[in-house]
Amino acid sequence: MRRYLAKRFASAIVTLWLLATIVFLIVNVLPGDVGRKILGPFAPKEEVAAFNQRLGTDRPLLEQYVTSIRRVFTLDFGTSYQSGRDVTEVIFPALGRSAKLALLAFIITIPLSIAAGIYAARRQDKLADRVIVNVGLATSALPEFVSAAVLATVFCVHWKIGYVFANPPDGTSIIGQIRYLLMPALAMVIAYFGYLARMTRAGVIGGLHADYTRTAAMKGLSRSAVMRHHILRNALAPTITVISVQVGYFFGGIIGVERVFNYAGLGSTMLAAAGARDIPVLQGAVLLVGIIFMLSTLLADLLISFLNPRVRLEGVR
Amino acid sequence: MVRGSVVGLSTALVGTVLAACGSSSPEAGGTTDTTTAAETGGSDTTAAGAAATEPVAITEPAPPAGGIKQGGTLRVASQKPGSPLDPVAMDNLGTYTVVTTSFEYLCGKGEGAALAPALAESWSPNADGSEWTFKLRSGVKWHDGTPFTSADVVATLDRLAEANLKAYIVAGAAKPTDDTTVTVKLNAADGQFPYQLSLYNPQSLITPAAYAVGTTLDKTPAGTGPFKLEKYDVAQGATFVANTDWWGGKPYLDKVEFLFSDDIATQMSGLQGGAADALVAFGIVGGEAIMASDQFVVESIRGAAHRQIWMNVREGNFADVRVRQAVALGIDRQALIDTILQGRGDLGNDHPIAPVYEYWDSAQPQRGRDVEAAKKLLADAGKTGLKITMHAPKLAEIPQLAEVIQTQLKDIGMDITLNIESTDTFYDRWCKVYDGTNEPAGCDGGEEFGIVDYGNRGTPDVYLVKAYSTGEWNSAHYNSEPFKAAVTAYQASLDTPGRAAAMKDIQAIATEDVPYVIPYFYNSLMAYSAKVSGIVASGLGHYELGKAGFVA
Repeated sequence: MRRYLAKRFASAIVTLWLLATIVFLIVNVLPGDVGRKILGPFAPKEEVAAFNQRLGTDRPLLEQYVTSIRRVFTLDFGTSYQSGRDVTEVIFPALGRSAKLALLAFIITIPLSIAAGIYAARRQDKLADRVIVNVGLATSALPEFVSAAVLATVFCVHWKIGYVFANPPDGTSIIGQIRYLLMPALAMVIAYFGYLARMTRAGVIGGLHADYTRTAAMKGLSRSAVMRHHILRNALAPTITVISVQVGYFFGGIIGVERVFNYAGLGSTMLAAAGARDIPVLQGAVLLVGIIFMLSTLLADLLISFLNPRVRLEGVR
Repeated sequence: MVRGSVVGLSTALVGTVLAACGSSSPEAGGTTDTTTAAETGGSDTTAAGAAATEPVAITEPAPPAGGIKQGGTLRVASQKPGSPLDPVAMDNLGTYTVVTTSFEYLCGKGEGAALAPALAESWSPNADGSEWTFKLRSGVKWHDGTPFTSADVVATLDRLAEANLKAYIVAGAAKPTDDTTVTVKLNAADGQFPYQLSLYNPQSLITPAAYAVGTTLDKTPAGTGPFKLEKYDVAQGATFVANTDWWGGKPYLDKVEFLFSDDIATQMSGLQGGAADALVAFGIVGGEAIMASDQFVVESIRGAAHRQIWMNVREGNFADVRVRQAVALGIDRQALIDTILQGRGDLGNDHPIAPVYEYWDSAQPQRGRDVEAAKKLLADAGKTGLKITMHAPKLAEIPQLAEVIQTQLKDIGMDITLNIESTDTFYDRWCKVYDGTNEPAGCDGGEEFGIVDYGNRGTPDVYLVKAYSTGEWNSAHYNSEPFKAAVTAYQASLDTPGRAAAMKDIQAIATEDVPYVIPYFYNSLMAYSAKVSGIVASGLGHYELGKAGFVA
């Protein structure tokens, strides 16, 4: 196990380095220079030059690259070009907010979609199955910013039972915070419910027809025991893999939802930083999302091996 | 006299953070036309006739019949600050809104483009306008209770002398005569210098003597204004509490909360859904629902912000003045205002002098649409059926404006292809050379025909000098000695009649030579709940809330 973790850690370092390099390259192939972008097209050349000198963006690209990689590995992301604040002061509060929203979305999505998937599988080809599959297909075809906009318009603007500005004020109780975050979380639920439910359904159907299920039933186990101990253990592996990928996405990829509900999470922080070419913030936020991706896939691998001991972790003897 | 500055063109635009970047250039507000959406049209209040440099009475909206009640928290949806809250270096509307809630200017906003007393009670020039004396309000206190004195003004001007007011003053130019009097010696005479110390030069906020360059409001809260900063988080918002010692009297509101968003649609939804009580600014495009609802008061702030259709007069298709006049005659301005601005704008007459300026020559005949005359001019110039590409930025209502102009000019036989681009790409087409070294047409390398945006200014100097004279933004490459002489005469005038006399020539020459078609001056829009009263907005991000509150 230790060896496995060491290998995963080594590959994580390489992935982080690649991520940092890609962010650096992407930002530096964009046209225009940083000072011009931040000060605007009408700032005098001297001001732009002075600004670039202050930021270090006038130095040779290789030097900038080395500095930026060094920063990644010393976890010193530098100072935001735009706000002048320490990058960690910008991205960690955003991470906290994203975590809250992601958590609420997962708390709703995971049980709901797994339950729906099992229910549909057990009623394969019946009306309930068709409804769950088709509703799931329809909602997952809907981009999340569309469902977010619809929820905002209907529930927040028209019925006034949700919040368009989803950032809860300081001191809001947990219940109050859930009320603020419910609409953006629902937008995420709508987007991922169908996908997860169908994954679970397919896994459970496979499990229901498997030999080991028949054997277990013939041993006299109850239906629920067969489901819990045999079918779900096998059927949930792909669902868990999908969920682990979605963790990273829920943290950084739901830019549309965050924007519609004005939620100051990692996604909108990255978007704003990209627009302003605020490289330190962009790099810090992207790496943070990368780390979350890696941790969640590692967790998923561990969880799958726990659920199904036949699945051996690579490198574990 | 008007320095080479770095003003983003259309500072009053919603959704763009390209604002008056480190500008010392004057930017104007205007008269306010308040309507509830239930009314049609609404009534305009016209500009006060006072000379622009003379203080007039402070503009305060009429209180509601039932009065304003004490207390409450006003939640304002506003643009997220795009830069640190440094009064000297701030460069965008979102930052202006926050910083100007605590800090104040020497000269405040009066009727139209006029100034009103604020931290200065009065001001006057010497005989030639090279030195100005400001009489400060006495009894004003900083938020920490220390008295506001001339030393604070002198220290602020010394800081600005190295930054925003570099072209006007040097460090040491401002001297205190006593605790409440400051004299400022200018590098060159300027009859309208107080505009540089008003909201039209947003960075000229008066800060405490100890406020070094780079100090930010969130790190070092201070100010003389009606609200004190309590909490600031650029990702979410800012909270201010009432300054009960404000010189203007105890504010009605207990608290003001700004809810930041980069997305104007979210800000509008916030107002509509009740998450916010007011919206600092919004655009006609997308703002229809707010304008159509009787739950909100929509204020239409008249000003000098305009769209400019440039034509290269130096070479190419528009070198012949008849072609330019044909374009000007082919456009139906009233139709543009009615359809695109929904009536919220003033007619343009192909010069940048807006009706809100008190020296505007109202007697000048208005250019109307004359398709036949336009066709004849094109034919005479040998340009019948002229095929041309019009360049425009994807900004506010400009794409729609370009489309309607394309249709209107089809009637005079012009075949226009539109090239609408993102603002980043567009500004390269407009003017590639910014430094003005290639006089008289330094704005080189751009396209010959297109639409660009110009923001609100307190005086028209920036338009007259940069777009029409020296060439830094002169995308038409216009170079007219009579025009420059008239601009010089205008700038040398110390009073309104003198400026009006020069302005008559400026307007006439610009309309005749028509290097730029200026179809309209658009109003800036802001909205608030009908339960709120007393908000004064500049259309430049300033949101004065000292007299605002909830209707009793």
